[in-house]
Amino acid sequence: MTTMSQEPMTTASAAAGQLSARADDVVLRAEHISVEYAGAAPTRAVRNVSLELRRGEVLGIAGESGCGKSTLAYALARLLRPPASLAGGTIRFYGRDRSDPVDIMALDAAALRRFRWAKVSMVFQSAMNALNPVISVGKQFADIFIEHVPEMDRAARDERCRELLEMVGIAPDRIRSFPHELSGGMRQRVVIAMALALQPEIVIMDEPTTALDVVVQQEILDEILRLKEEIGFSVIFITHDLSLLLDISDRLAIMYAGEIVEYGYSEQVAARPSHPYTYGLLHSFPDLRADRHELRGVPGSPPDLRTTIDGCAFAPRCKFAFDPCPSIHPELRSPSHAPRLAVVPGAGQVIGPDTYSQGWGVACHLHDPRLRPAGPPAEITQPAGSPAPAAAEGDDT
Amino acid sequence: MSILEVRDLSVEFTQRGGHRLRAVDSVSFDLRAGETLALVGESGSGKSTVARALCRLVAPSSGEVLLRGAPAGRRGQALRRYRREVQLVLQDPFASLNPSFSVEHHVRRPLRISGHPRARIDQRIDELLQSVNLSPPRVMAKKYPHELSGGQRQRVAIARALAPDPAVMLADEPVSMLDVSIRLEILNLLDALKRDRNLALLYITHDLATARHFSGRIMVMYRGEIVEYGPADEVILNPAHPYTQLLESAVPRAAVTRDQLTVARRARLQERKTAPPAERRELAADTGCRFRGRCPRAMDICTTHPPDFAVSAEHTARCWLHDPAGVAGRTA
Repeated sequence: MTTMSQEPMTTASAAAGQLSARADDVVLRAEHISVEYAGAAPTRAVRNVSLELRRGEVLGIAGESGCGKSTLAYALARLLRPPASLAGGTIRFYGRDRSDPVDIMALDAAALRRFRWAKVSMVFQSAMNALNPVISVGKQFADIFIEHVPEMDRAARDERCRELLEMVGIAPDRIRSFPHELSGGMRQRVVIAMALALQPEIVIMDEPTTALDVVVQQEILDEILRLKEEIGFSVIFITHDLSLLLDISDRLAIMYAGEIVEYGYSEQVAARPSHPYTYGLLHSFPDLRADRHELRGVPGSPPDLRTTIDGCAFAPRCKFAFDPCPSIHPELRSPSHAPRLAVVPGAGQVIGPDTYSQGWGVACHLHDPRLRPAGPPAEITQPAGSPAPAAAEGDDT
Repeated sequence: MSILEVRDLSVEFTQRGGHRLRAVDSVSFDLRAGETLALVGESGSGKSTVARALCRLVAPSSGEVLLRGAPAGRRGQALRRYRREVQLVLQDPFASLNPSFSVEHHVRRPLRISGHPRARIDQRIDELLQSVNLSPPRVMAKKYPHELSGGQRQRVAIARALAPDPAVMLADEPVSMLDVSIRLEILNLLDALKRDRNLALLYITHDLATARHFSGRIMVMYRGEIVEYGPADEVILNPAHPYTQLLESAVPRAAVTRDQLTVARRARLQERKTAPPAERRELAADTGCRFRGRCPRAMDICTTHPPDFAVSAEHTARCWLHDPAGVAGRTA
């Protein structure tokens, strides 16, 4: 079970620990991560975020541009470059060989070079930019092995490269191709094969399919999940496309203004989004096949992250905001309606209501019985799929 | 009433080595006042080229465009009049506005050029900004693009397109650069403007869901051709062309369980093993159905180029599967 808590690990994480049963279930644990971009007034792009990635899962991170999701990913792989810097937090990696946890922040330059790619690799949005246009695919694979596995000879490198290409559905003779000779989808496959070259335990994917067509996107996603099952790595999948995350991720976290405002199992969040922002995002795209009804999106724009935000960062855009919202910062807590559900979808097992709620957190005063005894308004807790309050307005035909 | 009629529009580009690339191949459709027509397809299918040809940013190599029944002006005064009536909103509001000019300038220019009475221009700018919900208009008018969010910039681009009081608006992926949370605001705005001003709106997108929800009819484009054309709900809920079926099935389904998703995923992977998509054969143009290399239902007859077959009253598909003569019907 997970804790993505902005508070020190307390009861929630204790219960979560019990549920996950084995400590080695977790492959990466990040606590209280903050990232700042230097400037006259520093931009606090990631604000005190904690998360756990479990072995073999796909953890989705969704949010609008500028919410800090990519910055968080870079921080996790220690890829931040000035003006960005880690302002606080710890990141620990728990290898499958059960050796001692690696404190990623404490690695020196040489150790970090050995660690990255071998243990944590990344796939970026633009495959064309990730590949060197003047070097053949095979040579780019060879570079990885020369750096990380110097004892491999040329024949072995070639052999492994062909294997990897075949694994992602590309003909091995493409080893001699240059990036421009490949289609967008094939390039992204090559980049994924490169990311998997050293059998990492974690692959961080930052909008890997955003530039692709929907058909190619589906092919790539299918491929990623197949490889994940076959090889067994964990994925942190970052995107602005919440509908895509609902499709592929086991759990997801919604970021807003540098913070995680809601996390939980994908199905549970989809069925009953507890944060008004999550609710808004889920109502920001029409369902292709459902009846037409009026959709609003989330009017307004995110706050300036250079300023101090006292209360809830989402309050100015929130139509449910009440007295405490602008002044008191909401901490992650169990949604008030969480205990009513008892089945963890997709996990194929029935878990008690208490444990269920522990895996689900929301940073919103609406769910705080001390501030709002009546609980959140029915509108945001109604199960998805129930008729929208506003009647559909017919279109033009 | 159809405002803009497009008949057999083709656009060719010359490639390196003198080869001709037919980006748009004999495309016909009509845009009706007060209606949104969606044009969907993958990148490279020719969607944007259609828009660019319609507002004469590229010259069509053949075909006819009729505005209110009269041939579109090709040069001089007639072309300027035509362009005033057919306005374009582009995808990237960061690139389509000039960073060194204010919002006001962007909206004033088309008003001036279209001969709006000078005395009333300021008032008109305010009205236009108000109509795209940029308020207060006097404050917004003085801002520069870098001071605006992506959504606000796209509103400026829309106000600018509205300035000459067009009859037709071509919106080329107007929201794909914007954040998910504000896309609907812009689409709702376009929808309201279309209704209030009786605009004929061509909505070009790769997003099937918004295409269905914001338009009356949908055209599906594949490699330069319209392969399916019909009422939005019919095309999406009951797609007739195998390409539309493929597009439809690739959209993530929120309404199913994870177990069902896993089963569907395994089935797709199994299916693709037989025809690895990454090395998909792209067929030489011009002979036969262009989709047949990817088509799971390809037949012998598909080497002959299919005509449009009626699926229902207003719904056509360019696919032999719908040949009423049954050449395909037996094997389908």
